[in-house]
Amino acid sequence: MMNSMNKLIDEIRVTLKPLEILVPADRQIACIVEPGEVHRALAYLKSSGFAQLSILTCVDWIEDGEFELVYILMNWNEGIHVQLRARIDRNEPVFNTITHIYPGARYYEREVHEFFGIEFKGNEDSYKPLFLERWDAIPPLRKDFDPQAYSDSKFPMRDRDRVFKSRIGGTEDERS
Amino acid sequence: MREVKLFLGPQHPGMHGNYSVHMYVDGDIINTARPTPGFLHRGFEKLMERRHWMGNLALIPRICVPEPDINEMVYAMGVEALAGIEVPEKAHWIRMLVLEMARIAVHVMGLGFIGGPTGMYTATYWAIAQRDLLLDLFEELTGARIYHMYIVPGGVRKDIPEGFAEKVLEKMDELESRIPEFEELILKHPVIHARAKDNILLPAEVVWELGVTGIGMRSSTGKKNDLRKVKPYARYDQVEFEVPTAEYSDALTRLNIKVKEIYQSIGIVRQVLAKMPEEGEVRVPVAPGNALRWTVPAGMVYSAVESNRGEYGYFIVSDGKEMPYRIAVRGASYPQGLMGVEKYLKGYRIDDASLWMDSMGVCSPEIDR
Repeated sequence: MMNSMNKLIDEIRVTLKPLEILVPADRQIACIVEPGEVHRALAYLKSSGFAQLSILTCVDWIEDGEFELVYILMNWNEGIHVQLRARIDRNEPVFNTITHIYPGARYYEREVHEFFGIEFKGNEDSYKPLFLERWDAIPPLRKDFDPQAYSDSKFPMRDRDRVFKSRIGGTEDERS
Repeated sequence: MREVKLFLGPQHPGMHGNYSVHMYVDGDIINTARPTPGFLHRGFEKLMERRHWMGNLALIPRICVPEPDINEMVYAMGVEALAGIEVPEKAHWIRMLVLEMARIAVHVMGLGFIGGPTGMYTATYWAIAQRDLLLDLFEELTGARIYHMYIVPGGVRKDIPEGFAEKVLEKMDELESRIPEFEELILKHPVIHARAKDNILLPAEVVWELGVTGIGMRSSTGKKNDLRKVKPYARYDQVEFEVPTAEYSDALTRLNIKVKEIYQSIGIVRQVLAKMPEEGEVRVPVAPGNALRWTVPAGMVYSAVESNRGEYGYFIVSDGKEMPYRIAVRGASYPQGLMGVEKYLKGYRIDDASLWMDSMGVCSPEIDR
């Protein structure tokens, strides 16, 4: 099994010329590429046995000003997962769809658009709301979205006309 | 005839949880179907970024309501891979025991819940009764019935109590003797045959298009694509079990496979109890001092386990701090629950829609997170 991993790593290194290639866990390869290379890499990996897109997701690296797109692929014959990662500019969150390579990505792209605000060109559905109907704030999984502040502004504390002062073990005055 | 818009859900008998499908029907044939999740969205991925690594343990089982243990397992596996923790030998076996008992409980429930969309509630009641007896065992082992919070990074919380193994074996014997009754009631029932046979088809090309895993994938491709075999975790490489498959996938085939998997899981539970080391640690401390102040080394890892519905995974990102930087959840039924509903529910009749949901194994809490 280690042989097939090493062989695959060598193949990926030669074919895709990734920026970096890592082995984060047993039978898992992380391959970091330029954003422009993502589609070529996915097409190559799909043709070499990675028939399934397990998940497409995103990480917001707010301090670097970048979004990292993560495509996790599965090869069921070998039992190997590949993470294909690419960073795009956070101020210009536009990327091309991969639905022509992995059709199942359609809803993942829609979800990433909804929660991170990344636009996927060529995925005509991606702008439609899916989970969050009538959302009126910045995309919620971005790091600069504060759920506590949003919740406080949406559901403000009500003023109560009676103030309960008493507490267990308090003095007589407090209890009155 | 004029097209009419109908709503399936958010409450309906084909689902564990709230999930809605907007259907445009002509007569009783569905012309267009639009999945509408969001009724159960609790924002787990965001909440997890704001809690400590150990504090998340209380949150993660709630992501998939009917099957909580896989969440604990997949989280523990991912964090252990990031932090480089070696789990004690006995903990692996206890984890397998818990996972397989959970698999049986969910499969029994799923088998009985076919009664929901087909109107045969006897099966549902029987299944709930059997599952409850399994939950009693979980209660003894973990202190909780549904959300166990038992598998933690570094092992499991506690060793199994004395005399527990005998109780499990006794329950497995009883369950094994009861499953034929389920088969008699469900798989040989003329109504189920009329509704499920040659209905709700799942061809192999649809499996690959959507990314369906689990029973759906195995029942149509004929491949033994089970993560327990393909990419073994815990000690699944040291137990023997078969992966039931089929070449033609309709709702009845998938029910049949469910029953076969229950038998296999019972076999695994017996092997686990026989092979489990008698003595030994069940948990290693993850950090010196307070585990709540534990910092996990920076990294990104994807961990996956085989759930009842297929590949269930977490993508975990750490930036070396006390809280996760990001956790993304791959719900096992995400592909068929969203894109599958949109593309492949049309053409079926209204009364088959909830059967479609049930037999495809759509689980709304893991889609909504």
